[in-house]
Amino acid sequence: MSFAVATSLDDALAAMAAGARPIAGGTDLVVGSRQGKGALPDAIIAIDRLPELAAIEVGDDVTRIGAGVTHATLMTDATVVDQFSSIADAAALVGSPATRNVGTLGGNVMNGSPAMDTGAPLVVLGAEAELRSVDATRSVSLDELWTGPGSTSANADELCTALLIPNRPAASGSAYVRLEYRRAMEIAVVGAAAAVTLDGDTVSTVRVALTAVAPTILEVTGLDAVVGSTIDDAAVAAATAASEQATPISDLRASDAYRRHTIGVMARRAVDAAARRAMGETIAVPVNRALGVGAVA
Amino acid sequence: MAITDLPTFVRADGPDKVTGSGRYTADMTLTGMLAAKFRYAGVSHARITKLDVSAAKAIPGVFAVITADDVPDVRYSYGIADRTLFAKGVVRYDGEVLAAVAAISPEVAQRAVDAIVVEYDELPIVTDLEAAVADDSPLVHDDLDGYAITGDTPHHGNVGTHSSIEMGDPDAAMAAAHTVVSSRFVADASHAVPIEPRAVIAQWEGDKVTIWTSTQVPFDARNGVCETLEMPTTKVRVIVPHVGGGFGGKCGPHYEPHIAALARAAKRPCKLVFSRWEEFTAPDRRREGMIVDVTTGLDAEGNIVARTGELLLDNGAYMADSSFFAQAAAMHVAGPYTIPNVRIDAQLVYTNHQPSGSVRAPTAPQGCWAVESHTDELAAAIGMDPLDFRRRNIVRTGDVGPTGQTYEEIGLDRCLDMAAESAGWGTTELPDDEAFGISIGWWPSFHMPAGAYMKMHADGKVQVITGANECGTGSVMTLRMLAADELGLDQTDVELVYQDTAAAPDGPGASGSMTLFNHGRAVEKAAKEIAGQLRELAATKLEASAADIVLADGAASVAGTPTKSVPIVELAEAAAEGELLLGSGSTDELEWPEIKGSSCLGEQGFSSFMAPQFICHVARVRLDKDTGVARVLEVHAVHDSGTILNPVAAHGQVEGGILMGIGQALTEGTQYDETGSQRNAALLEYKLQTIADAPEIHTQFVEIHTPNAGPKGAKGLAEAPNVPTAGAISNAIAALIGRPVRQLPMTAERVWSTIAEEVTA
Ligand SMILES: Cc1cc2nc3c(=O)[nH]c(=O)nc-3n(C[C@H](O)[C@H](O)[C@H](O)COP(=O)(O)OP(=O)(O)OC[C@H]3O[C@@H](n4cnc5c(N)ncnc54)[C@H](O)[C@@H]3O)c2cc1C
Repeated sequence: MSFAVATSLDDALAAMAAGARPIAGGTDLVVGSRQGKGALPDAIIAIDRLPELAAIEVGDDVTRIGAGVTHATLMTDATVVDQFSSIADAAALVGSPATRNVGTLGGNVMNGSPAMDTGAPLVVLGAEAELRSVDATRSVSLDELWTGPGSTSANADELCTALLIPNRPAASGSAYVRLEYRRAMEIAVVGAAAAVTLDGDTVSTVRVALTAVAPTILEVTGLDAVVGSTIDDAAVAAATAASEQATPISDLRASDAYRRHTIGVMARRAVDAAARRAMGETIAVPVNRALGVGAVA
Repeated sequence: MAITDLPTFVRADGPDKVTGSGRYTADMTLTGMLAAKFRYAGVSHARITKLDVSAAKAIPGVFAVITADDVPDVRYSYGIADRTLFAKGVVRYDGEVLAAVAAISPEVAQRAVDAIVVEYDELPIVTDLEAAVADDSPLVHDDLDGYAITGDTPHHGNVGTHSSIEMGDPDAAMAAAHTVVSSRFVADASHAVPIEPRAVIAQWEGDKVTIWTSTQVPFDARNGVCETLEMPTTKVRVIVPHVGGGFGGKCGPHYEPHIAALARAAKRPCKLVFSRWEEFTAPDRRREGMIVDVTTGLDAEGNIVARTGELLLDNGAYMADSSFFAQAAAMHVAGPYTIPNVRIDAQLVYTNHQPSGSVRAPTAPQGCWAVESHTDELAAAIGMDPLDFRRRNIVRTGDVGPTGQTYEEIGLDRCLDMAAESAGWGTTELPDDEAFGISIGWWPSFHMPAGAYMKMHADGKVQVITGANECGTGSVMTLRMLAADELGLDQTDVELVYQDTAAAPDGPGASGSMTLFNHGRAVEKAAKEIAGQLRELAATKLEASAADIVLADGAASVAGTPTKSVPIVELAEAAAEGELLLGSGSTDELEWPEIKGSSCLGEQGFSSFMAPQFICHVARVRLDKDTGVARVLEVHAVHDSGTILNPVAAHGQVEGGILMGIGQALTEGTQYDETGSQRNAALLEYKLQTIADAPEIHTQFVEIHTPNAGPKGAKGLAEAPNVPTAGAISNAIAALIGRPVRQLPMTAERVWSTIAEEVTA
């Protein structure tokens, strides 16, 4: 087994071309292997010290968040908190301070768990993943990226370098809420993100995506019908659609029936919080804590 | 100076633990040391038809593989000697040890473990408590009477101990009652979950073995080795490095004998370090699951006139220290109430689950949760406030309890009043999604023999050599305060030598809230001996009578004449050249309180409570009704634990106990599959509370100088805080949703289903 620390992006890409797996914070890779989910890869290339992956750059149309940005940064960075609040909501819920200080956005996305917290926010914000190999750079939609629990369509030699997020229009807001049984070291039982744009008192766009109720992050479809309706109606419609479209399993954490019920509750609360932010209300990150018990609104 | 006036509590083990310089068992390495690993049964009930370790032994780097064939044929356990170190003939739970391997590295050891060949004839698996007590149930143990049985241990079929409390005429009283309420509650099993998984190292020199182990009870560990490996006490030395928590989970002998036998076979020191999965599944220390059926009759004024109950407790596959559980549980379901007519039957039932054993206040959190939830149902049935209902029915000083024990001065009434006042019961306006819940509970103190040695050196410093064990409570550190107080010194003048069975006199260690209660009394006596010697020396020097010498502030002075004084260090210096200053002490027997008018089958020492501790907790809970997620916002805790000698440590115990209680109430439950195996033997799925979940905790003590108790009137305190929290939370949830959640833990999903039932009803 070999372990090397990349000193430049090219270095990392070359190592991956030669068969190495990247390690960022290691909070999935190392912990998973210790829990027996799979042996550590034969060759590992550490990418956690690359400045190229750690930047957040606001462009004219798109904001580029480096794959190596940690959850601790995401939950406090002014751009993320103001513009892409749902990502900050999600990052602030990850594990514990220790997990957030080393765990990265890229690791969360590329690990491909249906319970990943930043996934649903990235989907409702229309993000794409930038994948780079020695030869090429390409952007893929998240829908294309995630192919099943723990699997992605990225090639083995492709490094995720950034998440690209379209800048938000005026009068818009986003939020992420998750159902949790305790306030740290938790994993989403279910979770929902919403991004809402308002036209006065009515909803002009709404996107909702769901955590841990399907093999991958699930975007709720058919919400075009709520365009023009009130926030309350949109929230109720999103809740109903979320409960209908979810395909949850029963496991140790919850039964499918309970997940189907609570995913609706989360969707409603996410739409409500996103709309309130769109109206200019300040709801501190994370929404879960700002609004009370677990994810009480 | 009164001991409670001591300005600060100096936790001598604190800096080591906080800075990381402290050594735990797993941190140790000995020359030539091998890695030990176990092969577990992997099935819950089966007859072993083949066990072949030859392939494992043949792997290069493997030094020894041992099984039941390699150790003396000894059956052991308290009450019913039903078990062997290594499985013999039949396995009865999946974490039972079949074989132990010693190898050059953990990886090689694991390969050898995997190379062991075992074949089974599967036997029917017993997991359901009600089915297990039916006449036609398959048996976990074919023939209990074939085992050595000690004490009053009535048993039959799968019932290991049957205990009953009977007083008065409950049938007649129930028939005549004005209101009768019956309730059923089911508690899932749970775990102690110390943050340090256990570790054991054994090293032989000639015919002597030294064992380093993360135990709470070094003398029990030593005795377990002596019993199962048939060795004299003098040949086994147990040393305990720092212990990373126990919560009862590290009481009793566990794997010390296995590793000692393995090291002997391997002719090298061996080290066992458990994974978290092993810590959950293998040891005989699970908090037992329980089914409680309880019926209570009230008169027209709301006085309890009769209570009957039937309890089934899941013992798992073997008796650990659990033989008293049935009677203890019965006492908690009776509760600290004046009930003239009682009949409670409790059965400790063998199943093919991991064995149950003492976890912090065994049987109490579940029993108390059930009966205190029931108590709120009683109050609701007659439209009485739950606080008023308890005020009317609790035991007070001079009252007779449910087994006919008359209580000397006790402070339960004050616990109730102070907790209600602290919370603002009935006066605080709460939002619609919040409620208070109240619960009371009790827990005994225990007398057990303990000893202490003490020496004062030429520099006036003192060493206390004690069998007490520090498992995180800070209680051992209080022993320094006791010695310093007796000798007129500062606690920093006193060092402890502890956690070494070869050096210290025997004692119960860190179990049963007994450290201060028993080891403390021994230390006081040893210190009194040296204090007497100092007084004699000072009397000669100051030309006064020894009876008039006062030891305080580092000096011996003549009472009333403070100018006639000599520094203690001067006396110590002189003694070092003459007769050495040595002390020793052993606890005096305390009188066990009498019971009158009741009959108790299966008497296991729990029918009366020595120096009983009383508790009232009020919890303020917020509930998210859409999801069933409850959050505890405040707990107001008032404890009667007698004199509080060490307030800092006492508050710490209450806060830790409450947090553990919240976990047991809401998130901590062990789930099983149909084969009897645990489904959530990991920290992500077995959900402890975290510090982020901690509520505001307001703690007060009713300080009653208790007769027939520990040093200076102290009772125990380590277990009591864990007793009533779940009951208080349950009652708050019930107040919000109209009925109690009948299964523990009261998970969000269970709360949500209970709300759904209420809506349908
Ligand atoms: C105690 C604890 C609590 C946790 N709580 C949460 C939680 O609440 N919510 C949550 O969503 N997650 C949680 N996690 C999971 C984990 O912390 C997050 O998924 C984290 O974001 C992973 O990032 P990482 O940098 O540590 O990934 P790593 O473990 O370094 O990598 C994860 C995977 O992604 C690959 N990878 C990493 N970076 C890249 C890249 N730039 N390009 C391509 N592939 C890459 C790795 O090869 C590996 O397969 C928790 C983990 C722990 C240990």
